[in-house]
Amino acid sequence: MSLADTQAAFFALVTQPETIRQGRALELFSGTPELPADERVRIYANMYLWRLVDALRNDFPKLAGVFEDDEFFALMEKYLRRHPSGHPDVGQVGRHLVRFLREHPDPSRRPDLADLAELEQVRSEIFLETDADPIDASAIAALGAEKFARARLRLVPALQLRHFEYQVAPLWRSLDEEHPTPPPQRSANDLAIWRKGFSVFHAVLAMEEAEALRRAMRAAPLEQVCAAYSQHDSPAQAAFSALSSWFAEGWVAALETD
Amino acid sequence: MPACRFGDVGRSMSFTRKYLGHGVGLRQPHFSRWLSEKPAVDWVEIISENFFSRGGRPLAVLEKVRAETPVVMHGVSLSIGSTDPLNAGYLAELKQLAARIQPEWISDHLCWGSHASKYAHDLWPLPYTEEALAHVVQRVHAVQEALQRQILLENVSSYVAFQQSTMSEWEFLGEVARRADCGILLDINNIYVSARNHGFDAQEYLDQVPVARVGQFHLAGHSDKGTHLLDTHDAPVPDPVWLLFQSAVKRFGPVSTLIEWDDHIPELEELLCESGKAAALQHQVLEPRSIPEFA
Repeated sequence: MSLADTQAAFFALVTQPETIRQGRALELFSGTPELPADERVRIYANMYLWRLVDALRNDFPKLAGVFEDDEFFALMEKYLRRHPSGHPDVGQVGRHLVRFLREHPDPSRRPDLADLAELEQVRSEIFLETDADPIDASAIAALGAEKFARARLRLVPALQLRHFEYQVAPLWRSLDEEHPTPPPQRSANDLAIWRKGFSVFHAVLAMEEAEALRRAMRAAPLEQVCAAYSQHDSPAQAAFSALSSWFAEGWVAALETD
Repeated sequence: MPACRFGDVGRSMSFTRKYLGHGVGLRQPHFSRWLSEKPAVDWVEIISENFFSRGGRPLAVLEKVRAETPVVMHGVSLSIGSTDPLNAGYLAELKQLAARIQPEWISDHLCWGSHASKYAHDLWPLPYTEEALAHVVQRVHAVQEALQRQILLENVSSYVAFQQSTMSEWEFLGEVARRADCGILLDINNIYVSARNHGFDAQEYLDQVPVARVGQFHLAGHSDKGTHLLDTHDAPVPDPVWLLFQSAVKRFGPVSTLIEWDDHIPELEELLCESGKAAALQHQVLEPRSIPEFA
């Protein structure tokens, strides 16, 4: 048997342990009375699944916290059967999990778990995102009114805006504080997720602020960013307050003028 | 840091052992300690793939450590024995990280762990055949060419042996190193675990590994499952492995030695204590004057 065929056979046995049969395993491997060949292969088969589920548990601890251990294992086993790891970094093994949860809804599960998994995934991405030194709000003060209108914000890479169907922040908080989880609440919302220093944060944004941030992320001029508050009672004050908080949270890497 | 030539290293074709002393793994639970102080350790080893990120805390910790302490990169996903094509993206990331932190050397495992572009994230043994040998040698050449440096390959723990093997594990390991002109990371615990699981003599293994090719030792703990030993890296180095280590020091001389502990990771002090024990045992075995002095 060629090396390629041997590896294909070994891979099949380990990833589909139900196919391990004494005769088939003995064709490839040596065994001993204390530890027959099929039992030796089963060591690898068990490690394959446990190792990957363990990696998923580490990467999605909040999601795992919603389930009993065996329920989480069973769900992740289904996921891994459909999405085996395709990346040399085991930290990427869960990169299709959000899509899997959305595409395979189960009435026995909470409907907001895909949103919870997405929040965990984004927070992990941001934890490892490129570093950038933020600037403070004095950069804005130095601009005249005309330059202010045309200026554009360059935001730090470790900042994302995500839209969710369910209220995921209260669920996150309850899991974080080990309190009973609230019932799922379907209500569209936008979360900003960012890193400050080495810590990752998320916060629900009001509709106007989410729109303003969306525009800033598209490198719209500040005039258009602030126009997101045009329906507000005090548009200028509200826009200034939001911009100030963005600087304070370290979201702004540069202020670019023409 | 001076290169250490010992035993028959001086007669080797082109592999030069560099002696760093005694190290520990740089692991996430100890990051805050590494950021706030400089633990008393000669060098650290990282799991390369854990630092492939673009930024954030892991890289910040690594760069701080690197500024003060020699770092070695140890990979787990090269899959050098796989019949899949080498992963060019993976090699590019490895090379990029190496350019950033300038490791003392780069190592991975003499094994395979991927098939049809799917990764098991495990270290699977190879059949010890001429075909596998030629395949691995050709790929080591390609990796060394891509990285523009020699690599070290580590012997893995195993639970299966292939019927088709035509040579022993130590013969295969030595031949890979010789033909591919690479180094060997000799994991003493893995030799012990595999010897127990397959019924070979661990001392014979040590005696047959070419001294000139060994650039690093690993020491770790394992679990006794009754029918077999499992390489778990979750416990102190057990006595039989310490005994084998002493025997290895006798044969190979001073080799950079690292304590691996990857699960149920203890306080840094316990790791450092294990590393100190390795240093003390090495001193006991060797004449003190044979251990290089460092500036």
